[in-house]
Amino acid sequence: MASDSSPINTRDGQSSPDGWPTSPVSNTVSSPGDRPRRKRGRQSSYATPSPMPTDSRARTPQATPTSSSNARRRARARRSSATPTSTDDVPPSSDVGEGNEDDAPVVYVWGTNISVQDVNAAILRFLRHFREDPQQIEGKYMRMINHVIEMEGDSIDVDAHDVYDYDSDLYTKMVRYPLEVLAIFDMVLMDMVGRINPLFEKHIQARIFNLKSSISMRSLNPSDVEKMISLKGMIIRCSSVIPEIREAVFRCLVCGYYSDPVVVERGRISEPTVCAKQECLSRNSMTLVHNRCRFADKQVVRVQETPDDIPDGGTPHTVTLLMHDKLVDAGKPGDRVEVTGIYRAMSVRVGQTQRTVKSIFKTYIDCLHLKTTDKSRMDVQDPMETENEASTGDDDSTQKSEISVEQLKELSKQPDIYERLTRSLAPNIWELDDVKRGLLCQLFGGNALKLPSGASFRGDINILLVGDPGTSKSQLLQYIHKLSPRGIYTSGRGSSAVGLTAYVAKDPETGETVLESGALVLSDRGICCIDEFDKMSDNARSMLHEVMEQQTVSIAKAGIIASLNARTSVLACANPIGSRYNPRLSVIENIHLPPTLMSRFDLIYLILDKADEEADRRLAKHIVALHFENPNSSQLDVIDLPTLTAYINYARKHIHPQLSDEAAEELTRGYVEMRKRGNFPGSSKKVITATPRQIESLIRLSEGLARIRFSEVVNKSDVIEAFRLLEVAMQQSATDHSTGTIDMDLITTGVSASERMRRENLVSATRSLIMDKLTIGGSSARVMELLEELKKQNLGGGAEVHLSDLRTALSTLSAEGFLAVHGDSVKRI
Amino acid sequence: MVGLPYDCLANPLGAVRSTFDKAMSSDSSAAALDGKDWGAAEVFRQFLFDDGGLSQVPWLSSSTMKWVQPNTLVRFRGMIQDMLGNEFYVGAYKDGDKWITNKFADGSHGPSDASSDVRIWERRLLYCTPVPGQNSWVECAPDAMRNPYISAMSPLREKRQREDEATESDADMVEPGHAIEDSPNPKKMREDGVAFEPFNLQKVVTEGSTSNSSTPPVERNSVSCLVKIYDSPESDLKLNEVFEFVGIFTFDPDLTVPIDDKEVMDDFCEDELLCLPPSKVPRLHCVVHRKLGPSDLVSSPHLELTTPVIKEIREALIGHLTAVLGGDRLPAEYILLHLLSRHNDYNVQVHARVDEVAVGKLSLNLTCFNKENMSVFGNNLKLVIGSLMPFTECLPLTVDYLNSVTLAPKKDYNTNRLVSGLLQLAEGSHLTIDETPLQSGTLNSGGLENAQVLRSMMESQKVHYDFTYYKMEMPADVQFLILSEGKSNILPADLVLPFHPSSVDPASGVDGEMLKAWRWYLATMKSLPHSIDPPLQKAVEDDLVAARQADRSLSREDFSRWLTMGRLMSVSFGATSLSMEHWQMVKELERLRKNRFQGNL
Repeated sequence: MASDSSPINTRDGQSSPDGWPTSPVSNTVSSPGDRPRRKRGRQSSYATPSPMPTDSRARTPQATPTSSSNARRRARARRSSATPTSTDDVPPSSDVGEGNEDDAPVVYVWGTNISVQDVNAAILRFLRHFREDPQQIEGKYMRMINHVIEMEGDSIDVDAHDVYDYDSDLYTKMVRYPLEVLAIFDMVLMDMVGRINPLFEKHIQARIFNLKSSISMRSLNPSDVEKMISLKGMIIRCSSVIPEIREAVFRCLVCGYYSDPVVVERGRISEPTVCAKQECLSRNSMTLVHNRCRFADKQVVRVQETPDDIPDGGTPHTVTLLMHDKLVDAGKPGDRVEVTGIYRAMSVRVGQTQRTVKSIFKTYIDCLHLKTTDKSRMDVQDPMETENEASTGDDDSTQKSEISVEQLKELSKQPDIYERLTRSLAPNIWELDDVKRGLLCQLFGGNALKLPSGASFRGDINILLVGDPGTSKSQLLQYIHKLSPRGIYTSGRGSSAVGLTAYVAKDPETGETVLESGALVLSDRGICCIDEFDKMSDNARSMLHEVMEQQTVSIAKAGIIASLNARTSVLACANPIGSRYNPRLSVIENIHLPPTLMSRFDLIYLILDKADEEADRRLAKHIVALHFENPNSSQLDVIDLPTLTAYINYARKHIHPQLSDEAAEELTRGYVEMRKRGNFPGSSKKVITATPRQIESLIRLSEGLARIRFSEVVNKSDVIEAFRLLEVAMQQSATDHSTGTIDMDLITTGVSASERMRRENLVSATRSLIMDKLTIGGSSARVMELLEELKKQNLGGGAEVHLSDLRTALSTLSAEGFLAVHGDSVKRI
Repeated sequence: MVGLPYDCLANPLGAVRSTFDKAMSSDSSAAALDGKDWGAAEVFRQFLFDDGGLSQVPWLSSSTMKWVQPNTLVRFRGMIQDMLGNEFYVGAYKDGDKWITNKFADGSHGPSDASSDVRIWERRLLYCTPVPGQNSWVECAPDAMRNPYISAMSPLREKRQREDEATESDADMVEPGHAIEDSPNPKKMREDGVAFEPFNLQKVVTEGSTSNSSTPPVERNSVSCLVKIYDSPESDLKLNEVFEFVGIFTFDPDLTVPIDDKEVMDDFCEDELLCLPPSKVPRLHCVVHRKLGPSDLVSSPHLELTTPVIKEIREALIGHLTAVLGGDRLPAEYILLHLLSRHNDYNVQVHARVDEVAVGKLSLNLTCFNKENMSVFGNNLKLVIGSLMPFTECLPLTVDYLNSVTLAPKKDYNTNRLVSGLLQLAEGSHLTIDETPLQSGTLNSGGLENAQVLRSMMESQKVHYDFTYYKMEMPADVQFLILSEGKSNILPADLVLPFHPSSVDPASGVDGEMLKAWRWYLATMKSLPHSIDPPLQKAVEDDLVAARQADRSLSREDFSRWLTMGRLMSVSFGATSLSMEHWQMVKELERLRKNRFQGNL
């Protein structure tokens, strides 16, 4: 249908005498009626007063052919034929549309050789026939149109990828000449809707989104003007909703006659000077009737570049968005959004009342579609979910654009990748290679597992670093924090329980209670780094129990009962209680953490500052190199940070290793062996060297190790390495110093088996002593005397008996009801 | 060499146009010139540098703004305080058959009829302010900048200018008639009255500091300026860098039309320019720009760069500092090293590093200052530093102060501007923090944040700019000197040194030549490259290892400090590589410092 009355047709009008140069790009069309309304956005170009008349005219093209329009069309046809290839290099659409009437003259978009009919036909075909998969009977967009009609909606979202897949030529045209093509798009839609349901009066618009390429705000330049673009940013400001007048109705003050609706023209309503009623004809009597005018919502939104796009030494750029109707209030300040729209430049008038324009343009984006993206830094998708999420097609291509997957795979094939990654992790922190390996496992993470029964096993690895001051624990933490896809860094001293988990706040305006997420919830699927873990209040620490094993945060207060996901790995570091680690005490005693919490850490590393000359030399060398920029001493074989990040992200997202049978066997064997180690012959003591928690840790660690190699299968070697890592960590933290064996009881209860044995011995010795010396109800004995006695007896195989030990023993006995302790005196009951 | 057919100085736009015409005649499509320079910059460069025209170009300051005519070439020196993004403008348009360019001009020339061809080009807008803390000696002497126009004017005219400055300047503006040919008649402008404002210094100053918080108080003789940059890669110009711009000063009366319509306020597209009316902030269309390093700011004393000369200057400078510090030589030595320190970025080369350690900085904490000797020594010290370093700032640290100010720059989304904080300092600035007035008190959240910002700036040479939704790290290069009673715990400096004055010696006057030499010495030595020879590197390492074996409490920070001091020590002698002698001097200094510390305790 060669629609004479289509918007395109009326877009002729470069001859408008007083036209503004609002459309500075020469190869676009602007119509006198449309041009001024540009300022108000694209809708105005088709938000004609009443869609129906246009519609009907469109369907009966030959019904009212005015001579003027014919003449105009001919004039334009001449013009376009004169410059068929002047400014544009888009190939003419080769496909001959079905609706192309043979005798209708071809109408071109002005200044190009794009035929309106062709585009019209192409859009029609696309809407009718596009299917996501061939099995579907009805096209995707036909279904959507029907849905919109049912819902009485006013727009359909068109995925630009679909357009591209179906007809790349149409896509190109759409992106390059969005104003024209979208107008045709809307015409086609209107036409289709009219056919399906002639009574449907609403105007349906096409909202294009998901363009093939998105542009950075910084690189917007004059050549993008009047093109369809998509960019990412953060909303920083929204104006209030502005009612924008679309058509006005006037009433005569003299006779009360209501005028016909007056449409906005060139951004203003011209008030009739004379009453249109023949009987009245009074001059200057018309007044605006607000109730009968039609208004549309408008909002001005400012979007700013996201921090990661800003180059060094620059400030973020901003761009203005114009939102209309449904898009109003689609985003709020602070949201990260992906915007699709048409980039426009508008000349600035010198004054409100003047027609002269400045030579400067104001630029803005006429928003077509707004998508709020996830607030997180990078990974929108779940990196550690149990299901493979291959279906989410839109890979964040921007993130990996520089480092291709191929490169990463190449890297992963290197035999020493594990070592290289270890080296690349915090390269300026010396030594601590095993700690770094542990941290690497944490970054890669294990697989989370959710059983159908509802039980779930976390895939996150928790690590605790305990060590002397000045052993760069905090620096490691900072490093991991910066490296991890999402993470929060807090210091134990400054964190409260609610600050870590979540708290309920009352909205001051509405009075509603809202949940505000704390650090752990915010670092869901990331790493929560907690510095100065030991200085955290007990209350705050107790909140961690749930997070570290169940990976949720439950809240029950002020009318809100909720369980929030906090699938986070915890990386904590703590100082020993006496600021220096006392090797004679257990880890628990050294760092004064509840054993329940300690056991939830997969790996506990002790970073001790040993007087080692070799280490000192390396440190000295390193610092000298740092200061004097000596290239031969700086390591060259490290993977740079962006690659490392990309590598980790890719692995977390795409690699989901499974235990091989061989590995499972090794795991079982190793575990049994570990447990056996406690019951070595000749020892009647029960020493627990491994608990089920450890086997879970081992699985996670070996999965992480497989991920490092980009391997879908966990090998035996991974399991062996995991055992080694665990052992290194355990040897440092869970070694019972009196026997030299690994004792998980140290972690789980804080008291080693040998210690417990010793205590029992002491209790029985005390008991027999008191039995000997005191009679029931008799005189009391002083504690010091008992101590002296015990020392004389020298119980416990040479171990010194301390007063505190004795007091513990006495309190045990008094609990049995065997004696009573009053201050310093002991009485037998 | 043939004379140019136009006067680059008085009619730069003429030069722009004629080169444009030339370019157009050889290549007739304006599209080919999109985002490119057609040789205009080359012409200016030749005029300014090869032909020595630079010295004739007047500096733009509040005093010269009175007589500098619009559309002439001026110079401006300032720090990039904010970037206002890009501006699209009609770069060239076709008037009849001829292409006309608008580049380097602000005017509202537009195509007379809408149908003509236009090319849109873009330019960058930078908001430049006088460098914070710039000392008066850095400023270009106004005397050198004779008004070239005054001599050309008749005495009568000059007189009239005094009598009726506003009208005169107004007339001045219109004088280069060819430039404003298309603009509305000047009469209207005159009625507006706004156009007079830029010529009224008093008004500029008061308005600038009161009504607009984002414009830092205009100091002495300088003005802020909106600089428009053409055809320059983005990485060339960075925030907080000090630049010298040569460009065309414009004043477009059209832009001063007050926006009375409230409707526009909803439409905040123009906001950023609204709060920078040309009446307060002149526009400069930059033709040539040049980054200023420390040595560009001092005048060379024409001395040979020989070791004895340097040694002599060094000795004299230390002597002076010692005198200022009441005969205490040790702090004087340290202050010298401190003044030479510079946060160098060469650790950036190890790109894998995330937690960059700020290498090369040497913050100094002089203790044992109290209220009494602060007024004597502290102030003298500040004065001396002010006379030696180009940009210095002082910050009295009190609880009230911390609670009330915002130190870090903050983005104001209402005006879409970066509101400058005190810590938005140019590269190589010196910051003295006076902790003696600090009393106990409660810090509110703002105060706490300020303290953290200060601390992180001192430790890592990075300032966190507040962008409401996130913080952005901006690198800084600022020397910190803290004067306090005891060791400052709020701001832990690299070096803590108790200060023991023995005599109150009124600082003897220093002659200008000497000062010049010192400034030159500091600026030049500061930028010297530095290296270490492998044998010495070995020796240094051995030393460090031995020291650590002897004293386990030595940390990498200590090592780091020693090496920094070693570098600065040798640099202070003009040497480019560390020598054993200088290394021993550092160790001796540190030993003395340690002794003093123990004696003090």
